[in-house]
Amino acid sequence: MKPFELVDHTADVGIKAHGSTLTELFENAARGMFAVIAGEKYKAQGSKIEKKIEINENKDNLEEILVSWLSELLDIFNREKIYLDNFRILSLNNNGIKAETSGVNIDLYQSDLYTEIKAVTFHNLKIEEDVEGFSCTIIFDV
Amino acid sequence: MIMAYAWQDKLEKLDNFRWKIPQSYKPGMKVPGLIYASEKLLTGIINDKAPEQVANVAFLPGIVKYSLAMPDIHWGYGFSIGGVAATDPENGGVIAPGGIGYDICCGVRLVRSDLTLDELKPRLETLVNALFNNIPSGVGSSGDIKASAKEEEEIFLKGAAWAVKKGYGVKEDLDFTEDRGSIEGADPSGVSKRAYERGRDQSGTLGSGNHFLEIQVIDEIYDEEKADIFSLFKGQITMMIHSGSRGLGYQICDDYVKGMISCLDKYNINVPDRQLACAPLNSPEGKSYLGAMKCAANYAWLNRQCLMHLARNAFEKVFNKSWNSLGLKLVYDVAHNIAKMEKHKVDGKERLLCVHRKGATRAFPPGHPELPEAYKKTGQPVIIPGDMGTFSYVLAGTEGSMRETFGSTCHGAGRCLSRSGAVKVCAGRSIDKELFNKSGIIVRAKTRTTLAEEAPEAYKDVGEVVDVVHGAGLSKKVCRMRPLGVIKG
Repeated sequence: MKPFELVDHTADVGIKAHGSTLTELFENAARGMFAVIAGEKYKAQGSKIEKKIEINENKDNLEEILVSWLSELLDIFNREKIYLDNFRILSLNNNGIKAETSGVNIDLYQSDLYTEIKAVTFHNLKIEEDVEGFSCTIIFDV
Repeated sequence: MIMAYAWQDKLEKLDNFRWKIPQSYKPGMKVPGLIYASEKLLTGIINDKAPEQVANVAFLPGIVKYSLAMPDIHWGYGFSIGGVAATDPENGGVIAPGGIGYDICCGVRLVRSDLTLDELKPRLETLVNALFNNIPSGVGSSGDIKASAKEEEEIFLKGAAWAVKKGYGVKEDLDFTEDRGSIEGADPSGVSKRAYERGRDQSGTLGSGNHFLEIQVIDEIYDEEKADIFSLFKGQITMMIHSGSRGLGYQICDDYVKGMISCLDKYNINVPDRQLACAPLNSPEGKSYLGAMKCAANYAWLNRQCLMHLARNAFEKVFNKSWNSLGLKLVYDVAHNIAKMEKHKVDGKERLLCVHRKGATRAFPPGHPELPEAYKKTGQPVIIPGDMGTFSYVLAGTEGSMRETFGSTCHGAGRCLSRSGAVKVCAGRSIDKELFNKSGIIVRAKTRTTLAEEAPEAYKDVGEVVDVVHGAGLSKKVCRMRPLGVIKG
């Protein structure tokens, strides 16, 4: 099972993330999003910066938590200029997520990054379960 | 193809430019859908999922007449890109942040000059390089025009007028900007801290993706009288700027789409896609979004004003003359991702409606009170950018758009290939070299991938799109511009 694959969308970019568990699905979705930003082969170089993430939202909806999780990571990338490449989810449920993540400080303007993600969308978002585990298609506005 | 056939059966051809999606297509649609397209464009449209999204938008409470789609329609998320929907606040009408999009008030401005092609040609490359160096572009780019937190609030309220006050332009520029570059009713209290922060250092930056600055020459005039009033002539050099509200707009849209999902339950709203999250215009959530959206709209107008200022500086350096003596005057600036409260006649009665334009341009007719005095006779200039290898157009607004599309028309070529699809098609090719060798167009871009993603093949034929809105009477062709030099993010 591939952790994620890129999906074609006329105006925007999508990924289909997979995971044998929901935790793995969320981690792979994060990897997929950063692959959209900088390409699948990109390896960020530099000293590691650790970030702790805790989201508590009264949503009672796992898909909305998935969007909140990816949006939080995208926000760290946009505002703190940290390219995240390591994700470890400590706990996850319909109302929140607790995770540790790390990445490298990079200067966006100087780097050859090519895709600016404006936002993570809710478009046709559905976490699906099959014999192999879980999968979900996520469309980004770029 | 199965899907295409399925759609062929569902669509009702009204005439050569109009295709109706009957309200019976899907239970829950409150009005029918209406797609403006030629037979040729329709084939592409139905192979995409865009018609399904046109039908989904028809679910919005309070939607009036039709869920409309312009000929440059393509699959978006929630709303299709190229969609227009008007909702009536007196009839439970909603506002949907997804019906405006993340890049709030993304739009284009056209700047004229006194220069002719012969005068520009020897200095074209120098000019393109100067523009590329003068204008910050690329992912997350930040610029030299910076504002403090207090000033940022002033920008939200005053938009392009703030830039003019700071010396980045003249008062006359505001006369030729939609809403004079500062829409009334902006309310910074609905803008999150995150949104503030993302907007802070990005004014006067182009951004990436499909945003650009282009040097062009007018190569065809369709309406001499209107062109003359717009001060446009054949062989004239023009400059087009396409950009939006950058990180600020993205964050505001993101905040409110997330927040309004809970409004669906609260106000008992049934929509088939969560990306269509919305709230009644008269609700606290709806009002708060409208106030915040206007902050981003003003920011976008300020941004394009600053970009024009930086570009004028580049011209001054290259030609060693003031921009004023080079005749670099603003023709017009239009938004193509916005919602506006506007008066429209419905069944003979005037109503105040919220017109969502997502990838659609306002096209007000001659005599409309919103138009600058100079354009009262012509109708509003509508600026339609093409892809970087083909033409762009200036059109003029008409009564037809007021009658049928709430004063709206198309906004550009519209994509026909996905970004990764375009990269695949362009693998191993050098798009900038091709453009130069084939058409003499000089292109400067931050990355090669942007060039491939934005290659001419990725877009529909803009001429075909413009011919549909012209033929359907939604706006009339005035002139056509050919690209000479392009700066991409």
